[in-house]
Formats: sequence, structure tokens, C-alpha cells
Amino acid sequence: MKLTIGHLYPDLLNLYGDRGNIQCFRKRLEWRGIEAEVIPFLSGDTIDFSGLDIVLLGGGSDREQELVCGYLKEIKQDFKDYVENNGVVLAVCGGYQLLGKYYKTDKKLIEGLDILNITTEWEPERLIRNIILNSPLFDTPVVGFENHGGRTYINDHTPFGKVFYGMGNTGKSGYEGVIYKNVIATYLHGPLLPKNPHVCDYLLEKALKRKYGEDITLKPLPDELEHLANSYITDRYNDKKYVLQETIKRYT
Amino acid sequence: MRLRSRLAIRCAKLTSWLIKKMNRGSGVTLPGYVARIIDPKILSSMSGQIREKTIVTMGTNGKTTTNSILYHALKAEGRKVIINRTGANMMNGIISAFVLATDRHGRLDADYACIEVDEIASVGVLPQLKPDCALLTNISRDQLDRFGEVDITFNKLKTAVTSVPDTKLIINCDDILSYTLATDSGNPYVTYGISEQIFDDISRSEIRESIFCRSCGTKLEYDFFHYGQLGIYHCPNCGLKRPEPDFTASDIVLHDEVYSFEMADMKIDSTARTPYNIYNTLSAYAALCTMHAPMQHFKDMMESFDYGNNREDIFTINGARVQLHLAKNPIGFQQKVSLVLKDKTPKDIIIQINDTYQDGEDISWLWDVDFQYLADANVSTILTNGTRRHDMGLRLKYEDISCGSTTNLRESVERLTKNGTKNLYVIVNYSGLYRTNHMLNELQNTTKGEA
Repeated sequence: MKLTIGHLYPDLLNLYGDRGNIQCFRKRLEWRGIEAEVIPFLSGDTIDFSGLDIVLLGGGSDREQELVCGYLKEIKQDFKDYVENNGVVLAVCGGYQLLGKYYKTDKKLIEGLDILNITTEWEPERLIRNIILNSPLFDTPVVGFENHGGRTYINDHTPFGKVFYGMGNTGKSGYEGVIYKNVIATYLHGPLLPKNPHVCDYLLEKALKRKYGEDITLKPLPDELEHLANSYITDRYNDKKYVLQETIKRYT
Repeated sequence: MRLRSRLAIRCAKLTSWLIKKMNRGSGVTLPGYVARIIDPKILSSMSGQIREKTIVTMGTNGKTTTNSILYHALKAEGRKVIINRTGANMMNGIISAFVLATDRHGRLDADYACIEVDEIASVGVLPQLKPDCALLTNISRDQLDRFGEVDITFNKLKTAVTSVPDTKLIINCDDILSYTLATDSGNPYVTYGISEQIFDDISRSEIRESIFCRSCGTKLEYDFFHYGQLGIYHCPNCGLKRPEPDFTASDIVLHDEVYSFEMADMKIDSTARTPYNIYNTLSAYAALCTMHAPMQHFKDMMESFDYGNNREDIFTINGARVQLHLAKNPIGFQQKVSLVLKDKTPKDIIIQINDTYQDGEDISWLWDVDFQYLADANVSTILTNGTRRHDMGLRLKYEDISCGSTTNLRESVERLTKNGTKNLYVIVNYSGLYRTNHMLNELQNTTKGEA
């Protein structure tokens, strides 16, 4: 078996160690004896979505996102068809915002792919901190780090998870990210997947099933270290004293 | 001097004395805070007393080393120089440096001030300090949880330098971000750069900022990269290109682990073991020339200069060679990986990653470092330590590099120096640096006694 992973615009969207997500996809396939091919598409390259099993759209600065926006126009319809056809997508931060209708910054309106019915508006105060979600998809919490100026309004979409600690989509809604078909769109860096192998395996399994049929299941891997890294963060923010200390520090 | 300033200085000194008396740390920021509460304009009035020139050093990597070169170069000429202590580069730390250097009457006796300024603090500090020169080492991603995006750092620095339009900028023109900052700012500037390829593939890293033209958005073309986005670039669309630098280092040769190079008509047999220290030396040289500072002893001073300043120290513990390195952002860590690879002998490595506010709470930058090279680095044991040791472990796991973890650094160092390869690297990020340095020093002294 083999999966092909398309990494969109790593020359423009490569903030916050998001390439770790690619590495996580790759290794967790290889460790199970499944072949993984990663194709980086640089800005200006033509993209054939029919050959892709997983698409990663990472984050960039507002300026770089504006540049990406120009390239996105050319692939808008193909990307949309891929998603509607149950293609697997992980979109992080800037990538998340670009899946929506638009991102309104303090200066400009960046047009998105219009795949999700969501909109993002910039506010001067950036939301920056560790974040923990409880997602109905998983028993284990999802942990990461958020760092965004945009507030994303997800309308009728299903959120990726409920915020246990952190700010999430708008800082007020109590929810984070979006799940739509086989798309996970989220603000979580960290990078997201290495500390959340359950999320990685969820996406891998969706992609394998789409390609090779519903009876595919993934062999479990020894994930002790992954769980230690994950529970370090959840334990920390389950400790009320720690949370209080951090809150006091933040506002002084 | 104004009565208010005098009172501020008195109180700051008293605070400093109290902190030391109570053994509550080194007292480098609180006195500045006290002084500023009493006299908000204290920094302006202090900097006005500098007889010759004030220079600030800013940028992501190399600030402390470059500032230290400037300080020692001016001291070597017999000048009296004020410098802020390592890490005390925010407003309060800088004020402390000035007020605590005053005499009994609250007067400064100094020819020069060499001040390292944090990028975020620069917006507040520069308008008060009104430096003659501002040296910018480079701009790259660092502590993104503090700075947000690299463009935010860029804009802060730009706001800072445009608020002091007469300040002359000393700019690394190999860095498109620094160079654009200079041309956008309207300030007078001079450039320095290196036209030879001196960094190896490993230290270069794939992660780059802003390889897109900042005036027209086209992807820049590079003859070659130094590291990060630094290199010889041009824009195929609008014609923007890396200029011929005003100051350059050439004939760069690595021999017996150290670099020699030429700047103008001066040949330096330096003690630099890493190519980025050539940049630091060159930028300091460019700044001294620009300030018309005396430089008779520059060559001698440089050839015995200790680039370490506690960040790259070597210890002998239980007969083993132990090196302490600071790596606090991807570019810095990549250079350390390259350094480790240059050493072909067997080695053990301990990596400590913490996530305090000082370090940056976001440790995702570890994934921007190309660690895969460590698989071929003749490493016997790798241990991870620090609050985020499991994240560091995961980073290595996903390169198929096996490692263990430890919560007791001291015990691990003792064990590895006794039973290991006798060649230990300890790589730490910011918050662990002083404690680890202190601990290694202590171990060095106790094992010396035993031998």
C-alpha cells in the first residue's frame, strides 16, 4: 500500500514547525510498512489532486498568506472537488483560514478557497498559548499551541473540539477548529500530529479507506513517548494552581 | 542634573544594594524599574552624559557576542565603556546599566555606551537613548510566541529606527529583511556582508524567511545561501539585489578548528570556531569604523577574544571534555548540529529544552531544525532533559534516532563523564543556561579536587 501526501506551498507556508506534521504522516506509515510519498508543491506549480491521498496546508504570516491567495485562485475548483470527494486534508492556522470565504486583516481582505462556510477577522490582540481540546472523535485530548491574530467564525460547521484550556476559534466561542467530511482544520501548532498520534492515525485511516476500501485498519504502534508528551500538557493544565499562576503571570 | 534624576539614581542604587544583601539574584532589572518610576526620562538624561558615542545592537542572533566585541574593542583602546549585562536587554535592564554605573554624585564617567536591545523593547528604548549607531545582526524567526510572526519583529524594529532618523544603521546586507528595513527606514546606513560561501549544507537548514521580494512579491533567486534566508540574492522581476557591501570579510580559511579571515587590510587569526562568529566580528568592525572609533588594538584584541561569554564553554569533569552550548532558536540549533558533526570522535549528547516565558512557551521550532544529521554523528547516547524533554524526544524519534530522558541533569552528567565516551555535549535553551553553567563549573571544581 502507498499514500501520496501533497504539501502545499512549503516555500510560503512553513511557520511553527508545521513540517513536523508531514514527518509524522510519513513515519507512521513507514513504521507500519506502508509506503509514503511526499510531494512538495511550490508556489506556481500545477497540482493534480487526483494523485493525492492527503493534502497539508500549513500556516504563514499574513503577508505570505496574501501571496498564497493568488496561487489558490488557480486551484480553487480542483481543491473543492477533492474535498467533496472525501479527500483527506489537514489545514493548520493560516491554512485553516484560507479554506474559508475570506480573511479580513487590518489592511486587506484576503479571499479564501470558499471550501468551508467560515470567515476570519483580524484583531490586534493575538491569541497565544498552549491549548487543549476535547474532541468527540477521540478519547485522548488533543494538545497544541495556538498563535493567531484572526478570529474564525464557523457558522453551522462542526468544531474540531471543545476548548478545555486555551482560546480557540474566537477566544470566546469555547470551540476550536472545524471538521468537515475528511477535513480537519485547526489553529493547533505544536506541531499538531506528533503529540496527537490519534489524530494522525485518524487521518491516515481515512485516506487508506478511501483508497483501498473500508476494511482497512491500522496496526497500533508503541506510542509511549507520544503519550508522555501529550499528558505532560494535559496534566499541567489540570493542575488548578498552575493555571492560576500562569494567568497571573500573563496579566502582570 | 535634575533633582528628580538624582533621586531616581539614589533609589535604584539602594534597591540594587538591598537585592544583593538579601541574596535575591543579581539585581539587574529592578533598579532600572525603580529609577524609571521616579524619573520616566532617566534614560535620556543618562545617555546624554556619554562623551563620545552610543551604539545599540539588535537582531535575532549574535547580539550578545557582537556587543561584547564592541565593548572589548573600545576597552582595548583605553576608553571607558558602559555595557548592559547579558540578557538584561529590556528597558529596565538597560536603565540599570546606566544608573548603577554612576559615581557617588550620580554622574556618569563614560566615553562610549554599548547597549544590547531586545527587538520588542527597541520601540521604547531607542527614542530615549537616541544612539549614534544601531547595529542589526540579522532578523529571523525566534520565540514566535513572543513575537508572533517575523514580520511583526520587522515592523517593531522599523518603528524603532524610524523614531531616531539620525541614527546610522549598520546592516547585514546578505539578509534581505535587514537590508529592506534599512532602505525603507530612511535612516543613513552602511552595509556589511560576506561574499564567500562559508557555511556547510548542514548548518544551512531548509527553513527560510522571506525569500519573496518585499517590494514586488516575486520569489527571489539566490546565487547561494549562507544560512536561513541569508545569502546572495536578487529579484528577477524588479531588479532588487543584494548590494556590494561597504565592509566585507574575505579569504576565509578554517584551520585547526578556528577561522582566519581578512577585513580591509587587516588579517585576523581569530579564535572563532563557527562561521557565524565571523559575521559578528565583521559587523562590530563595520560599526567601529563607522563611529570613527580608535582601532589600533583591534587585531590583537580579536585574536585573543573569547567568543564564549558563558554560552559556549568547555569544562573538564572526571577527565571528560564537556561542552556547554546555548541553542534557543532553529537557526542557532542548526549551527550546533553542524558543529557536533564536525567532531568525528564518539560523543554523548544531553539536550535540555524548557518552555518558560524566557525560552518561549512554544517549542514547535524544534521541528524546524534538521536533526536527522545526528543519526550519522557518531553519537553513543542522547538524553533529553527539561520541562519539554518528551517533545525533544519525539522530535528525535521521528528521525528514527533513539534517545533516553532524564530528570536529573547533574547525575546524568556525572554518569556520562565517568562511563561514557569522555566527550559530552550539553545543549540547553535559555532558561537552563546559567544554572547548567554553574552546575558544570561546580562539578569541574569538585572532580579537580579528587584528581
